[in-house]
Amino acid sequence: MAAAYIIGASTTAFGPQPEKSIVSLGRDAALAALSDAGVDSASVNMGFFANVFGPLLFGDTTIGQDVFGAIGVQRAPIINIENACTSGSSAFHLAVQAIEADAADIVVVVGAEKMCVPTLGLVGGGQSDYASRNGMAAPVGFAMRAARHMHEFGTTLQQFAAVTVKSRAFAAKNPLAQFRKPTNVEEVLAGPMIADPLTRAQCCPIADGASAIVVASEKAARANGARAVRVNASVLTSGESVSAPDIVRWGTDIRTCALAYEKAGVGPDDVDVAECHDAFSISEILHYEALGFCAAGEGGRFVESGASAPGGRKPVNPSGGLLSRGHPVAATGVAQISEIVLHLRGEAGARQTPDAKVGVAQCMGGDKDGDTKSCTVVVLSR
Amino acid sequence: MTMAQTLDQVFGAPPIASGLFDVDASGAPFLMGGHCEQCDRYVFPYSESCPACLSGMKHVRLGGEGVIYSHTTVRTKPPYGLPQPYSVAFIDLNDAPLRIFALLDHSMAGGFRIGDRVKLKVGVIGHDGEGDPRARGYFTLKDSR
Repeated sequence: MAAAYIIGASTTAFGPQPEKSIVSLGRDAALAALSDAGVDSASVNMGFFANVFGPLLFGDTTIGQDVFGAIGVQRAPIINIENACTSGSSAFHLAVQAIEADAADIVVVVGAEKMCVPTLGLVGGGQSDYASRNGMAAPVGFAMRAARHMHEFGTTLQQFAAVTVKSRAFAAKNPLAQFRKPTNVEEVLAGPMIADPLTRAQCCPIADGASAIVVASEKAARANGARAVRVNASVLTSGESVSAPDIVRWGTDIRTCALAYEKAGVGPDDVDVAECHDAFSISEILHYEALGFCAAGEGGRFVESGASAPGGRKPVNPSGGLLSRGHPVAATGVAQISEIVLHLRGEAGARQTPDAKVGVAQCMGGDKDGDTKSCTVVVLSR
Repeated sequence: MTMAQTLDQVFGAPPIASGLFDVDASGAPFLMGGHCEQCDRYVFPYSESCPACLSGMKHVRLGGEGVIYSHTTVRTKPPYGLPQPYSVAFIDLNDAPLRIFALLDHSMAGGFRIGDRVKLKVGVIGHDGEGDPRARGYFTLKDSR
């Protein structure tokens, strides 16, 4: 199997951008990623474009060809991807597979989303889904995970809030993040309750934004020299219907992380920096446990210890994560990987992880029967 | 239900989806789901084929009682015209090996605990997404506190 490398990455600012369209956001990110890679659009063999809300909010479908057309990529195969919050990382996964299969030398992945419109309510599963029609929505499943985590492991409200405090501390160092003002536990807990026990600052904001990555074969990456980042593993799995899912020992999350580690030949102790899908404070706590950064049930105490904070031994979500950088759904999975690329190259500025050699990006999307619909884990190294 | 009455009449509005619940001769509601006689698997809501062995599934009663495994109360603007706030739970059913997602009694939203024993009721709650009222199943405390 051929090796895959990342030779270019770029993310736009996240947040409300009313003057931008999905296409213009995607174009901005893609052009910057190509420029970062030092390649021109004529060398792009294939493109994957991720977007979730275009069809629902604007009636826009098959947007990828418009984005790639706008950056001068014509005739090459373009594939449009929707896979909930893992849309971007699923697109990345397919790009890596194309390189590993020796089907292309340069593949561009773009995730772009526009969500900041008044008509977007709680994000749920749609009108054909039993749970969605009976009150399930994005914060609801996670709020129940939080309540159960408190019940089984003694996790506290202060520990949940510590995830947001840590997130804002990192975001203050990321000029592209949406919420950059530092906060504290008391302020997080005093905010309006969304779904008990999650207050507003423990739920990620919607955003407009885009991110793009250039994936290359070993041959094409050679010109990129030391800046090329190796893709050691990219794993995409789906959840399963289990009659009585354990919502605080998340099987799909644990299994997917383990698979990625195995494929990459590394373990949790080797990871210098991680991005994970912190859509809610409880999400990050569960992902610490699935990624093996702490034992099952210890996620609350792990964040409280400062281990995942700036200067900690295991920095998590140095970009500010979904909670502070923001969550333009299809851009997120690409942006997480782009963030890890910056740390491995030593280009992450004020939030740089010292001497980062191995990084992980974990993402999840959708709710089904107490499980996620999709989960991706990517391991990168320099 | 009685021969003369449709579920719409019993509950005051059409159910949010067909085949989710029904009432016995005494008027007590119960959940309906699927059972696979090949691999003894239960599902809720009903599915025509077993997700494990793909055999045809039988439409069966799942009872109307269970225990709260976890819960939350949603205080932000609700979807489908549900009450604000509304409570929901994962409930371990007594009569089938299933942990299902369901609404809780909104008249006591926020008053539930993990481990509470609950029973099914059906009422007109919220709408179908287009503004037409719908009957939905919800669980309330089995024993008074």
